[in-house]
Amino acid sequence: MEQPLPPPAASRRTVFACAAIVLALVAAEGARWSRAARAAAAPSSVEAIVPGAVTLTELSRTMVPMPKNVPSAHASALAALPGDRMVAFWWAGSRESGPDVKVYAARWTDGKWGEAWEVASRESLGKALGFGVRRIGNPVAWTGRDGRIHLFVVATGLGGWAASRVVHMVSSDEAARPPTGRRALKAPAGEGIDFTVRRVLPASPLFNTSTLVRTSAVGLTDGGWWLPLYFELGIKYPMLMSFDADGDPTWAGRIGARTTTLQPAIVPVSSTDIRAWMRDASDERRVQHARSRDGGASWEDLPALALHNESTSVAAMRLANGDFLMLHNDAVEGGSSRSTLRLSISQDGGTWRPIADVASGSAGDEFSYPTMQMVGSELHVTYTFQRRAIAHHRFHIAIGKGI
Amino acid sequence: MILPELSWQFLYSRLAWAVVLAALVVSVWPPAWRLPRRALAAIVAGSCVLMALPGSASGAWHLALAFQYPSGLLLGLCAAALLRRWRGAGAGAGALLPVSAAAVLAVLGTVLYLDAFGLLSRGWYYAGFGPNGAPLVSLLLGGACAWSFVQGRRREQAAALLGAVALFSLARLPSGNLWDAVLDPLLWGWALVTLVVALVRRVVRRRAPLAPVVAPEPALQPAGAESYSPIKESS
Repeated sequence: MEQPLPPPAASRRTVFACAAIVLALVAAEGARWSRAARAAAAPSSVEAIVPGAVTLTELSRTMVPMPKNVPSAHASALAALPGDRMVAFWWAGSRESGPDVKVYAARWTDGKWGEAWEVASRESLGKALGFGVRRIGNPVAWTGRDGRIHLFVVATGLGGWAASRVVHMVSSDEAARPPTGRRALKAPAGEGIDFTVRRVLPASPLFNTSTLVRTSAVGLTDGGWWLPLYFELGIKYPMLMSFDADGDPTWAGRIGARTTTLQPAIVPVSSTDIRAWMRDASDERRVQHARSRDGGASWEDLPALALHNESTSVAAMRLANGDFLMLHNDAVEGGSSRSTLRLSISQDGGTWRPIADVASGSAGDEFSYPTMQMVGSELHVTYTFQRRAIAHHRFHIAIGKGI
Repeated sequence: MILPELSWQFLYSRLAWAVVLAALVVSVWPPAWRLPRRALAAIVAGSCVLMALPGSASGAWHLALAFQYPSGLLLGLCAAALLRRWRGAGAGAGALLPVSAAAVLAVLGTVLYLDAFGLLSRGWYYAGFGPNGAPLVSLLLGGACAWSFVQGRRREQAAALLGAVALFSLARLPSGNLWDAVLDPLLWGWALVTLVVALVRRVVRRRAPLAPVVAPEPALQPAGAESYSPIKESS
C-alpha cells in the first residue's frame, strides 16, 4: 500500500521568517499593552446638589438662521464653547435623504446667532474618507477640554438609514494643520470653524452599517465623553461608545436587551448610577427607561415610563438640585405624535410631571428632535420646527423657588 | 480600543479590494482553460489601476461604500487563490476554503451576526476591541498559523490567517476589531456556500446507485512458479 508523502520540511529561511513575524506581533502587542490606560473613567455628574425647587423663566425664542434656498431642516445638536458661547449643528437640504442634504452650523455669540455655514456634504465627506457617502443625517457635537469640537455625523453607505455609519470629525487646530492623510473641511473664510475627518467609527460587523447618532454626549471625569449610539436595521437597540480626552474611542457596549428602543438620552446620577431614557419603537408607545449601577458597564431595562412616546426622540439632563428634566413629544387631544413638545420634571427618574409646553400645534404640526444645553446659567433648547427650520428657546434656571 | 489611522484604511481599502476583485475575476475563468501568467498579471494590474483611480472613478469608492473593507482573512485567501493560478496549481491542490474551516467561519459568523442584530445581546463584537483578550487571541492565532506553516500543514490557509492577524496586530487593520480581521459577511457567505456545496455533494453521492461489484477473473497459476520458502517444513 502506498504511504502518503510527509509534508515538505520547512527550509531554515521559512522557520526564521515565521519566527520573525510572530516576534514582531508579540513586540507590537506588548508595546501597545504596556502603554494602555488601565482605569476606566467615570461619568461626571452634577457634583453638589443645591436643595430647592426649580424656577424656569423663558428669556427668548428665535429661529437659527437657515442657509439660503434650503427648505428643509432637521435634527439639531448643540456644543458649548468657552465664554458662554455655543454652536448649533443640523442637517438641511431640499428634503430628508436628498442628495443636497448637508450639515450646517451657526455660532451663538453675544446673545445672537451668526450666519449659517456648510460643515459637511456627501461630496466633502466622500473625498475625505476615500469612499462614497449616499446620505447625510443627524449630527451630534461635543466640546473637549482642549476646546476642540468633536462632531459626529450620520453618513450612509449603499441603502437607506439602515446602511448608516458614523463619521467622526474634529475642529480647529487639526484642520489648520491636518495630520498626514487627513483632509480639512474648510469653512468659508472668517465665518465658520474648520473640521477634519478623523475616521468612521467601527460599530458593527455587518459592513459597519446600521449605526446612528442622535442624542447628546455625556462628559467623563477624565475629560473624555460617552457618545450615545443606536443600531437600526428592523431591530433597534441603544449603544454607548466611550472616548478618552484625545477623542479616541476606548470601549463600546449595548444598553439593555430590548430590541425596540433607540436614541438613548443618558444622564449620570453618580459615578456608578446612570439613567437612560429612550425613544420607543414598540406598540407600548411609552418612553423607555434603563439603568446602570456600575458606571455604564452593564444595564438593566426598567419598566417604561407613563410618558407617551410614538417613536419620537427625547432629550434629558439633571439639574443642580438633583431633579431630572426631559423634553419629549406628548399625546394631546386633537394633536399628532409630534405636535406638542413638552418639558417634564422628575425627582426619581420614574415619575414625571409636565411643567411647560415648549411648542404646541394642531395635528400634522411637527416640533421634534429636541436638544438641551446648559451655557452658564441659561438653558438652551433647540428643536426641529415644522421640518423647515431649527427653533431656539432660552431659559433662565433658578434653584430655590417654587415653579 | 486602538483604531487604525484613516490614511492606512485608505491604502488598505484600495489594495485589498484590488486583490479581492482580481481573485473574483480569475475564479470565473474556467479551470480547464489555461490562464497564462501574462494574462493573470494583466488582470491583477488592471484591478489595481481600477482601484487607484481618483475619487468616484475608483472601484474602491463604490465597494467601500457598500461593503466598507474586506477582512484580512478574505484578502489573504484571495491572494492565495491568485498565487495558485500563478503557479499553475490544478484542481488537485484542494479547496482553498476547506469544509472544516468553512464550518468554523459559518458558526462564528452566525453567532456574531445574530449578536450584532441584537437577537443574542451578548456584545461579542465589542470584545473584538478589548485591550487584553483580542490581542492575546491574535497572538495565539498568529503562533498557531506560523507553526502550521513551518510544519507544512495547510500552508495557504495558515499564511492567509497569519497575514490577517499580522495586519491586525501591527496596524489594527482593517477596523481595529479582531472580528473584522478574520471575518466579514462576504467571507461568511463564501463559507456558507462551501458548506452547502459539500452537503449537496454528500447527498448526491449517497443517492447514487452503487456500481456492480465485478468478481476478479480467476488467475491462472503459472507452472513452476510455486512460492519458494527456505524454511523447512517440519515433518
